[in-house]
Amino acid sequence: MTSAAPTKDNGKRPWQFVIRLLAKLGLSGRTLVIAAPTLWLLVFFLIPFAVVCKIALSEAVIARPPYLPLLEWTDDGRMIVTLNFANFQFLAEDTLYIAAYLSSLKIAFFSTLYALIIAYPMAYFIARSRENIRNILLMLVILPFWTSFLLRVYAWIGFLKGNGVINNFLMSTGIISDPLPMLHSEFAVYVGIVYTYLPFMILPLYTNLVKLDGAMLEAAADLGARPMTTFFTVTLPLSIPGIIAGSMLVFIPAVGEFVIPALLGGPDTLMIGRVLWDEFFSNRDWPVASAVAIAMLVVMVLPIMFLRNAQPTSESV
Amino acid sequence: MDSEQPIAADTKPWRNPNATPFVRIKNVTKKFGDVTAVDNVSLDIFKGELFCLLGGSGSGKSTLLRMLAGFEEMTSGTIEIDGQDMANVPPYKRPVNMMFQSYALFPHMNVAANIAYGLKRDGIGRAEINDRIEELLKLVKLTGYEKRKPDQLSGGQRQRIALARALARQPKLLLLDEPLGALDKKLREETQFELVNIQETLGVTFIVVTHDQEEAMSLATRIGVMDEGTIAQIGEPRDIYEYPNSRFVADFVGSVNMFEGQVIEDEHDHLRIRSSELGGDIYVGHGVACAPGQTLWFALRPEKIQLQRQKPNTEENFTKGTVDDVIYLGDISTYRITLDSGKSVHVTKPNIARYDEENISWDETVYLVWSSDAGAVLTS
Repeated sequence: MTSAAPTKDNGKRPWQFVIRLLAKLGLSGRTLVIAAPTLWLLVFFLIPFAVVCKIALSEAVIARPPYLPLLEWTDDGRMIVTLNFANFQFLAEDTLYIAAYLSSLKIAFFSTLYALIIAYPMAYFIARSRENIRNILLMLVILPFWTSFLLRVYAWIGFLKGNGVINNFLMSTGIISDPLPMLHSEFAVYVGIVYTYLPFMILPLYTNLVKLDGAMLEAAADLGARPMTTFFTVTLPLSIPGIIAGSMLVFIPAVGEFVIPALLGGPDTLMIGRVLWDEFFSNRDWPVASAVAIAMLVVMVLPIMFLRNAQPTSESV
Repeated sequence: MDSEQPIAADTKPWRNPNATPFVRIKNVTKKFGDVTAVDNVSLDIFKGELFCLLGGSGSGKSTLLRMLAGFEEMTSGTIEIDGQDMANVPPYKRPVNMMFQSYALFPHMNVAANIAYGLKRDGIGRAEINDRIEELLKLVKLTGYEKRKPDQLSGGQRQRIALARALARQPKLLLLDEPLGALDKKLREETQFELVNIQETLGVTFIVVTHDQEEAMSLATRIGVMDEGTIAQIGEPRDIYEYPNSRFVADFVGSVNMFEGQVIEDEHDHLRIRSSELGGDIYVGHGVACAPGQTLWFALRPEKIQLQRQKPNTEENFTKGTVDDVIYLGDISTYRITLDSGKSVHVTKPNIARYDEENISWDETVYLVWSSDAGAVLTS
């Protein structure tokens, strides 16, 4: 049997010997498929993260690299581990960082809220459109992605600046006499974030709303609910998984956003992404910058964990 | 299939020409673009009836039901419910509730909240709502299921909760779209009797849409058979089955053997039809409005035919054929017989004895015999 099988297998499946070889090492095809993304995460996420943790616990020096090692070997064969928690202490003591975190969370929260308010009717409209129109509308939502994110943020400068499109239009129609100071303000940051992340809110909402059974809405109407009541008692509760997914996709990148506040924000727009950039490139204080990054991660992981726990109950819906 | 339940004559208001209909559908037409889904339908339904709209897919039965509920607007015509014109009355203001084919239970609400949904919209107090929920759950035999979510219920339980929810607001008219369609055969049989019981207890008028003729026969006080957007025939189950008015109805409700033939004798008390398909003459013991030489159809149900080995002594109402196939179904056996003309005929015979040595079997030549009032003469 073993003597006949190889010739037969070689003709049909030349890769068979690879599989057999791997099986001898205790690796099945399934293990390999799971191993690929695991390795990717390990190499490109977990190891860099460990490096960042290490730097966050070291001491800053003016050198290259600009921090001291954690482990040191003395001549008499002892290993000295220096863990420097001063960076985290510094974050807690300096009000700048706490203010920046709070400001980032606030901007991210309200951006998410505005995006939700704008995206929900859009997603609802697309989901309720005829099938052949739906794809065109979805295409229009995705279309901006064909242009670089950076270019689109720059384009907003052209709209919002003192002699930009909006001010010129309003002044030419005589509605205002002096240009509105829109650029370099928190308002501009909101516009930028909501505009940029709107598709990330629309798409999960659409996917959820398109699955909504029309009979549900008819049943509500049949039981005496007016359209508004139907929306708040049936449509909205059933779309909670979509709202959570969309909000996470907007909120998380918005907290750490750097480009939009840097280009559109004013000097008083405090966001943690900018603080991080300054710490790293202007101050060259890598340990504090790393500590800022880790603290930001913790700040963001908490709401995600909260939402993940909230999800199963709403999905059983 | 005995539909003759002990119903008093006054519970058959459709037999009384002076009775006022509860639901009045007049010349209703519905077009979707170029397609006419419902074509000039007029129909009167009386209080306390359990009316079945029976038809295949695309016959317009569901569209008619949805127009009664207010989910579709009529292209033309009027619908009156309890004397009130339903034109421009939105679904949430109609004295009508519907039980959906998919049940459409709200998955994010438990059983109690589902049943309470309509009551809350009507602004009924908490205590009264709770009483009503308890009462309805008792009615559908699901007491104690208040806290369950729809996905924790079986198909049959969901069906009953949907019924309870639809009955909660005490509608004057309950519309049921394929109410038993999603249940398996055994459960369907149990449930249809319960449905009839509930309907009789509450006295609510039911309009049921179904494609299942057996379901329609067992539920309905009257059946409206629909075909291509029109009503082909309205009648009590027995009328529809025994006295179909067209080949479509005869064929759609139950199975039937259809013979085409020409009138050769047309008297006021009888009719003689010559059918080459049958290979003999048909004598019908009652007069039919037709002309000599006219082509018409004779519809004969499989259970109305008797099989025998000897040639009968009559001149007509029999034919000869060869048994092609015998299908044993337990309660009955179905025989497929090929006549000399090549036409295939179905005959059913109840299996009275557990074992019958004399049973007619494959390849035998048999005579098919029926009485003079066994079949229906159809002119269309």
